[in-house]
Amino acid sequence: MSQVLLQAGSRLLNALGRHSDLIMQAYINGSVSAREYSPKVLEQLVQLGVLWRPEAQSDLRLKSAVRTLLEGSLQDERNRNINTNIGAAIASLKTLTEHYKEALQHQRYNDATAYMSDLTEHTYQLSETLSNSVRVMFSRINNEFGYVSSVEAKIRENELAQEQVTDLLGQLECFRFDELSELAGSNRELRHLLVVSLQQRFSLAAQELSVVQARLLDLLGRFREFRGRTRLLKGFLLHMEQHPDFTPGNYPNLTQVPVLFNQSRSVIKPAASNVNNVEHEADYHAIVGALNYVHKQHKAPEEQVESQEINVTEQASVTLEKDPLHQAVEAYFVDVIDSGQAKTALEYYHEHELSFDPEVWIYQVIGGYQGLDDEDKQYFALDAQGKNDTRFTGNFYINDVTLGLR
Amino acid sequence: MMTEQGQVLSALLEGKFICQVSDEMSWRFLKANGNAAQLEPHLNLLNRTLSTTAEGDVFFASYLTIGEAERKILIQQFQETTSYLVPLVEWLLLVQQANESDMPVTMGNAIRLNELLTTIEDTPAYTEQLEKISRYKIFGSASVSADGQLKQVFKRLCDLGYLIKPNPDKQIYLATGRVEHLYEMIRFIDETEALSLAEQADAAIQQGSLI
Repeated sequence: MSQVLLQAGSRLLNALGRHSDLIMQAYINGSVSAREYSPKVLEQLVQLGVLWRPEAQSDLRLKSAVRTLLEGSLQDERNRNINTNIGAAIASLKTLTEHYKEALQHQRYNDATAYMSDLTEHTYQLSETLSNSVRVMFSRINNEFGYVSSVEAKIRENELAQEQVTDLLGQLECFRFDELSELAGSNRELRHLLVVSLQQRFSLAAQELSVVQARLLDLLGRFREFRGRTRLLKGFLLHMEQHPDFTPGNYPNLTQVPVLFNQSRSVIKPAASNVNNVEHEADYHAIVGALNYVHKQHKAPEEQVESQEINVTEQASVTLEKDPLHQAVEAYFVDVIDSGQAKTALEYYHEHELSFDPEVWIYQVIGGYQGLDDEDKQYFALDAQGKNDTRFTGNFYINDVTLGLR
Repeated sequence: MMTEQGQVLSALLEGKFICQVSDEMSWRFLKANGNAAQLEPHLNLLNRTLSTTAEGDVFFASYLTIGEAERKILIQQFQETTSYLVPLVEWLLLVQQANESDMPVTMGNAIRLNELLTTIEDTPAYTEQLEKISRYKIFGSASVSADGQLKQVFKRLCDLGYLIKPNPDKQIYLATGRVEHLYEMIRFIDETEALSLAEQADAAIQQGSLI
């Protein structure tokens, strides 16, 4: 028997795998259009219980068991139905327990094992349903009913969810642990299943549901507030359209100005810099260093200077007075050219009884010679007269210079 | 370096609105026990006092006593504010409608300029609306493209403190506490002038559905 079941099961799963795109199509669109797939495949899936046809004329749809499986595994938020039929599940648990106990009493151990595994399955299924319902609730709250767009729809969704939570909480009251524990009696396995495991799940679910309920109320409040705001804004615009000359009363003129319209003006202006503060010196340096750039940026547009009349009469000529020392050197050079004779600087100095310091005079003559253009320099020759230092070689003392023509 | 107290104080004296979005540090400081009371004497010295709006989530400085000079400033401010109301409300509704979630803009909402622009450009009614909004004096856009208009509107809103741009490289804006202040003001006007705006809107919606 189990061999047959195994084969049938793997055939079903294989079919699901083979036609996965068809099934997902049906899951997303809600139905399969018979034209796109071969009738043979569709027929096979119908026989396997994956698809069904609710009415003779309608399209093929996914069986709800398959849909539930997909929703559960994909954590799809569109899953909005919540199985609140806990009472029936508990009743079936009780029945199975009775069967199990009876089988034990009559020592039909094979039957008892079968009942036990059935019972385990049902119990875990019940826990799973509970946790699934809570999860669905939470996922809806977490995206704030993101699957519907308008605030009105969100409010309706929220109300539906609240009803479902209330329903769930009502159903949770069906758990009577005193009855269950009496039923389980002293059987260890039964106690574990019916009392310990269910109780844990029950308390968890109850706790989470109370959180859900609080959050739902909270959200509902927020949605209502949103709706209120939207209406306020729309109403205001409408009013302004109908009464374009509407101006609200001059509230600041009242003796008691409402806080909303009592808003003080800015009093703080940037402080000025104190250049005498030594502590800030480094900062000021940095600021000034950066200023160059800023300056260029903020250059005020140049004012247009109006054209003025230009005075073209001759300007008074300016003569630049030359240094007398310089003039004397020039005169000395001219004298040498005129006479054509070489003459030492000091000779000329004494001849003309110049009043400069002799050393300064000699320096100036050397300077004057060096300052000539290369071309002019070619006409002159400058010889220095003097003597070496008595003690140190390489030191030459100039007493006089002789300037001659080349 | 200024102490935190000093920073908060100067922000208040500059006339800023302090909320969790615009300046979380200062906001936390003001929310913490006793800190607000410590600031009060400093503000009082300058004839100011700490005020809150939006259920205590937004702080700003208001005048302690109102003399002639203060009244003049307030009246001027009020006239400016009321002239801004219609453009701002139209902008809020535009963003809300163009945002697919249909949620009103509230403090902390992120507005992605590029997404908004795509929706507006794809919908002629929104493009027209944006054009109208951007021409108001408060925004003062002269641009002919929706892109330029929207950017100008957002820039002005940032200047006015209704939005902040947390990352200068990204075109994502956050609504600040001033938006809440705006709602409060409209609500106040609604109540004081007995306009029953919400009822008007409801009636209009119902009429619309009858047609």
